[in-house]
Amino acid sequence: MEMQVLAFYAFSAIAVGSSILLVSIGNMARALFLFFIVLFSVAGLYVFALADFVAITQILVYVGGVLVLMLFAFMLSSRELLNQLQNGTSQFLALPAWQALFIAVSFLAVLVYTAIHIGTAEPGWITAAKEADATIRPMDNTIQHIGAQLMTHYLLPFEVISVLLMMALIGAAHLTRKEGGT
Amino acid sequence: MPTPTPTYPLLAALSAVLLPFIGFLLSAMLGKRARSGGIAIASITLSLLAAGYAFAQVWGHDPVHAQWHWFTVGQQSFHVGMLLDDKAVLMLVLVCLVALPVHGYSVAYMKGDPGIHRYWAYLGLFCFAMLGLVVADNLLLMYVCWELVGFASYLLIGFWFTKDAAVQANKKAFIINRIGDVGFLIGIALVYAGFGTLDIGVLFGEPNRIAQSALPTGWLTVAGLAFFLGAMAKSAQFPLHVWLPDAMEGPTSVSSLIHAATMVAAGVFLLARIFPVFDEYVLLVIATTGALTAFVAAYFALTQYDIKRILAFSTISQLGFMMVGIGIGMYPMALFHLATHAFFKCLLFLCAGAVIHEMQHISKAHRLDIDPQDIRNMGGLRAHMPVTFATMLVASLALTGFPFTAGYLSKDALLVHAFEWAALQHGIAKAIPYVLVAVSVLTSFYIFRLLTKVFLGPFAKTLPSGGATGMHEASKWMLVPMLFLAVCSLFPLFTLHPLNDGQVWILQGMLPEAPAPPPLRALHLFIPAFSTLATCAVALLTWRWYVKGKYPLKTDGFLYRLSAHQGYLDVLYDRMIIRPVLKLSGALLWADRHIVDGIINGFAALGRYMATAAAWIDQRVVDGVVRLVGKVAWGLGNALRRSQTGRIQHYLASLFFIILVILLYHMLVQT
Amino acid sequence: MITLTHFLVVGACLFSAGLYAVLARRNAVLVLVGIELMINAAILNLVAFSRYDKAGYGGQVFALFAIVLAAAGVAVALAIVLNVYKFYKTINPEDIRNLKD
Repeated sequence: MEMQVLAFYAFSAIAVGSSILLVSIGNMARALFLFFIVLFSVAGLYVFALADFVAITQILVYVGGVLVLMLFAFMLSSRELLNQLQNGTSQFLALPAWQALFIAVSFLAVLVYTAIHIGTAEPGWITAAKEADATIRPMDNTIQHIGAQLMTHYLLPFEVISVLLMMALIGAAHLTRKEGGT
Repeated sequence: MPTPTPTYPLLAALSAVLLPFIGFLLSAMLGKRARSGGIAIASITLSLLAAGYAFAQVWGHDPVHAQWHWFTVGQQSFHVGMLLDDKAVLMLVLVCLVALPVHGYSVAYMKGDPGIHRYWAYLGLFCFAMLGLVVADNLLLMYVCWELVGFASYLLIGFWFTKDAAVQANKKAFIINRIGDVGFLIGIALVYAGFGTLDIGVLFGEPNRIAQSALPTGWLTVAGLAFFLGAMAKSAQFPLHVWLPDAMEGPTSVSSLIHAATMVAAGVFLLARIFPVFDEYVLLVIATTGALTAFVAAYFALTQYDIKRILAFSTISQLGFMMVGIGIGMYPMALFHLATHAFFKCLLFLCAGAVIHEMQHISKAHRLDIDPQDIRNMGGLRAHMPVTFATMLVASLALTGFPFTAGYLSKDALLVHAFEWAALQHGIAKAIPYVLVAVSVLTSFYIFRLLTKVFLGPFAKTLPSGGATGMHEASKWMLVPMLFLAVCSLFPLFTLHPLNDGQVWILQGMLPEAPAPPPLRALHLFIPAFSTLATCAVALLTWRWYVKGKYPLKTDGFLYRLSAHQGYLDVLYDRMIIRPVLKLSGALLWADRHIVDGIINGFAALGRYMATAAAWIDQRVVDGVVRLVGKVAWGLGNALRRSQTGRIQHYLASLFFIILVILLYHMLVQT
Repeated sequence: MITLTHFLVVGACLFSAGLYAVLARRNAVLVLVGIELMINAAILNLVAFSRYDKAGYGGQVFALFAIVLAAAGVAVALAIVLNVYKFYKTINPEDIRNLKD
């Protein structure tokens, strides 16, 4: 077994294991930190998929932004909120809700089955790409290509995303404003 | 058909008929204001004048006939008209002549009666109906007037309708008259079926018309018998005579006019009018019935105590005489006897009325509380009411057929002709004249019994105030009519020869249709002599028995009781007819109430049950289905509502579940 | 060899876990975390497939956009959670039943 395969399995095990633990653990702070681990593992998986820029962006935005936001929201909340947040955590692992478990497991089954099916019956364009040898190599300069795409094909979405971000910013700021005197 | 030419006799007769009707209408409209009776008297007087004029113009000449179209049914037409021949104008004058005195008499007799305005009106109605009957030219119109006369009689018998006896009597009279009317109607129907017309002039004008009838043989006899049935009821022949004694519940003046002189004679008049219809067999039946009636009535009259009842039976008996007159084929004789009888019988009743009036007065004045009509309470009234006695004596003599009276002429003529007829007959018919002779004797007896008990001898009751009894003669309004009628009861009105009926102008005017039997000269002398002697003997006998008080016979023998109870006929009728009819009507009432109504109620109950069942079905089943749908929808909704928990994670779970199902479908179903 | 299937399987596991978190957790913030997990799984899928798209790098570009959108979404969602707490005094989705029929 090669090193990369092993590394891949390790990253994926950590990701999956952390996510499973994340959804079943009772303590919320710990859940958030597990989320942190999941994000990192998934970033590593991105690297294996030869999407290094996406991996870095993941770490920067998700871990550095989203997770930090959640942690700050959690940590800087008032006592009542914390109490609320801590409620229902009598055990280490919360009891699974059976209906949700069933749905989740069914989805898992379906998706895994589809994934395996992809392996046996690849879509045509993938086969064509493989035969034309037009797959991304590890040596490629992904950043350059991504940049070029952003500025040509995906210019409009790029601009719209910026507007959307502004909207989200204003919206979040407005939603969490303090009323005068409250 | 002669068109109605306005000849004077016609107009006179028409006015004679209509004047009393106008009087009736006026009296009815004026109501209680018509108490004096002036309208009635005026109308009858004018009617008499008109009738007299018509009589003078038509008697002895050709008949006058006028017709107007009445109605048409399909192809058949019926007319209303007047036929003025000898019989009609004779009766016209007779009725008016008898009605006028009665009207005058009523002024005094009915004085103070609270219902007198009705009395005048009814009298007018009766006169109109009677006069219409005698001039009617077809059988249908005659039937209409016949019924009207019966109706007027009903009204007048029940004049004092608060008395139960009067109400029972007028019902009885009407019902029995109806029985006769059925016969009359059957006769009319048969005549119409046989001849196609009801016109009297057409039917009986030509002598042999009747023989050419379209009826099968035998039916003409039935028609004759049917007509005779009608006459039997109207003229009180045995056994339908039972209404006449009870009809005496009406005022005496009514009894005198209607039930003595005119209405009861209508039956005789009818038979005289339609005389050609009768064949030998029917005539024999008529004669036999007449003789039987005469005898039975005279027999019943012997023991009666009510003064009016004696006179009522006397009327029935004399009507029997008239029927015999028709039965032997001599209808002019019958009509002649009808005329004389009208006068003296009316007079008899008026005198009786005067006596009753006086007895009522005495009874009230001396507080005696006696029946004013019972002859046992009377006696010796000759001293106080001499004029009444005299007129009543004249009338009684006329009744018995004493010489110099009109009754002698008619009655003995009938007797003689009966003997002549019987000579040609066989079997039972031969006995008829002898029966009539016996009846004459009985007649004398009962009328003299009445006279002696009422007027002679001492007064039956002792009066408290010794000297002045307070009895007086009847008033002038009563006496003058009585005197007039007494004069008419004597011979001069009818013939100049008091003892011979050969020159009676009535008989000379009307010729009989069939040839008369050969006269037996000897009888013409013997019969009158015998009857006169018998009358005298019987009068003396009654004097001895009732005035002197030497009454030899028992009063409680079977024959006596049979007579006093009028042959128990009323009891018989009650048991055999009235009670079964009442029982039948009771049974029918029960059937109607329980069966007919029961069926109807059953249907109603059935309908109700069905309605209840339908209601149940509608409520439980039909509504149930509807409600079930509603409940199912609700239940479904309720069940589905549980998915709306408001919890977002449940919604998400449903969402993903459905996506899962779709994915599975795509995976598993699609190859 | 790490084939496409491996990535897809991992993504499937992550997605299932996130789905479970969304459906079963009693805490709104953890539901958000579950949503983030699902988004991450999707992005992994995108990236895995983009390996064969040299010409357009479509998958990776789209993955970038997805990351950005997820971040914006979670920011606004947290603001909403805060407001929900202010109004309902609880952030347990089980307790917020005003949409109940």
